[in-house]
Amino acid sequence: MPSALLELENVHCGYGQTSVLHGVTLSVPEGSIVSLLGANGAGKTTTLRAITGGVHWLGDIRFAGRSLRGRHTEDIVGEGIAHVPEGRGILTELTVDENLRLGAHKRKDRDAVRKDYDRVFEYFPVLKERRWLSASTLSGGEQQMLAVARALLMKPRLMLLDEPSLGLAPLVVRSIFEIIRTINQTDHVAVLLVEQNARLALELSTEAYVLEVGRVAVSGKSAELQGQESVRRSYLGY
Amino acid sequence: MQELIQQVVSGLASGAIFASLALALVLIYNAMGLVNFAQGEMAMFATFIAFTLIIHGLNYWIAFPLTLGIAFVAGVVIERVVIRPVERAPVLTLVIVTLGLATLVNGAAGFLFGYVPRSFPSPFSVQTINILGAFASFQDLSVIAVCGIVLIAIYLLLQRTTIGLTLRAAAHHPEPSRLLGVRVSWMLALGWGLASAVGAVSGIMVAPILLLEPNMMQTIIIYAFAAAVLGGIESPLGAVVGGLIVGLTVNLAGAYVPFVGGDLELAVALAIIVGVLVIKPNGLFGRAAVRNV
Repeated sequence: MPSALLELENVHCGYGQTSVLHGVTLSVPEGSIVSLLGANGAGKTTTLRAITGGVHWLGDIRFAGRSLRGRHTEDIVGEGIAHVPEGRGILTELTVDENLRLGAHKRKDRDAVRKDYDRVFEYFPVLKERRWLSASTLSGGEQQMLAVARALLMKPRLMLLDEPSLGLAPLVVRSIFEIIRTINQTDHVAVLLVEQNARLALELSTEAYVLEVGRVAVSGKSAELQGQESVRRSYLGY
Repeated sequence: MQELIQQVVSGLASGAIFASLALALVLIYNAMGLVNFAQGEMAMFATFIAFTLIIHGLNYWIAFPLTLGIAFVAGVVIERVVIRPVERAPVLTLVIVTLGLATLVNGAAGFLFGYVPRSFPSPFSVQTINILGAFASFQDLSVIAVCGIVLIAIYLLLQRTTIGLTLRAAAHHPEPSRLLGVRVSWMLALGWGLASAVGAVSGIMVAPILLLEPNMMQTIIIYAFAAAVLGGIESPLGAVVGGLIVGLTVNLAGAYVPFVGGDLELAVALAIIVGVLVIKPNGLFGRAAVRNV
């Protein structure tokens, strides 16, 4: 069995006195899409933040076989993890193009970057139109597109997406999810997807974990979870 | 008319000096939301370094860039050693730290170089040149040119290079920038280095006009504050425009408003600060502050 790209083993963490994760274990296989579901406050965002070093944690987190313990966010993302944070992390003081350039700013393979630019504009033509405008002029959906495009320009092996559907119209969500699937398939980027919209997330992913107050309550193949009515009712709310 | 042109040129020369120091203030304000009260003292100290190099026989045009380099490194070191430990402290703590730094640098300059005012050599001849029938001092025009070149260089660095892009990103959006691999903490240090170097330009340019002594920058920094506030404390372009406006206003008021004369010029700068804060708190180029609470 090939070892997973990302592994979390009994991860505990919290903010100050408040403990948020109480032993989360999960893994993301190379090239897969895994969804992380759960109610508000279950610890989904905190799990992602732990992975990229945004909170202090206990237990172990390994990426491509190497522990991420004690490493800084800047180094972790350099290993090939692109994290699209809650709220999208758009740099609204800068232009669309500058946001994209920041995604690729550490890369030395200039020709490949140029090709990635072309592909990103193919996925999201609207970004090409708005390229020289301030990122603050983009709508919510366009900002989400920019965030995904920028993450892709980091040439990651793993993308962490925190609620890409939040606040967006259903049609926009659909098209973004389609592109996430395309990115996963053609670029072989693994995706760890945090979502409130469990139905969509389960459609897209192959495996899923459901968090409940800082623990993994249920996990399994997405198709199986979709089929289990009791799981859907009690954890996924649809 | 001829006198007016002379006054305008010398106002712009003062303005260019204020603009450089104001830009230094803005660079640090952008990076940490903090006005560096030690900026003027740091510039003064750098000027003493330039002075020391020159009186030991170094050519002015070698001493000048060398001093900027030293000021840059010193700015980085100050950030690492003095500011870094209190980086996350409340802004009031930081203000006190920079005030302490100002006192420290001032005292160190007094201790090392003494309080006797010294005349600083100027590489520019004192002659005047004839433009459109008016005589402008070559000194003033040179100051404008030197500051202009430095300000354009900073603009190109910030707007046209990757390092400038990461600097701006880190200054405005530290958390998302970190997730894109920007070393935010180093960017702060780099910001301090740049500010320190730009500030040093103002010190070296003003020293031949005033006399070099440890308190030389204490009025200049007030003008620079006025310029930065007028431009909208967050805008580098605003700092430059603000600097020129303050320089012109102060000079013209000094020359043509009878009761201002030479004595109340500083009061004009203070009036600008108060006026801007009352009438247009975001300055000419600033944006209204929007905060999520």
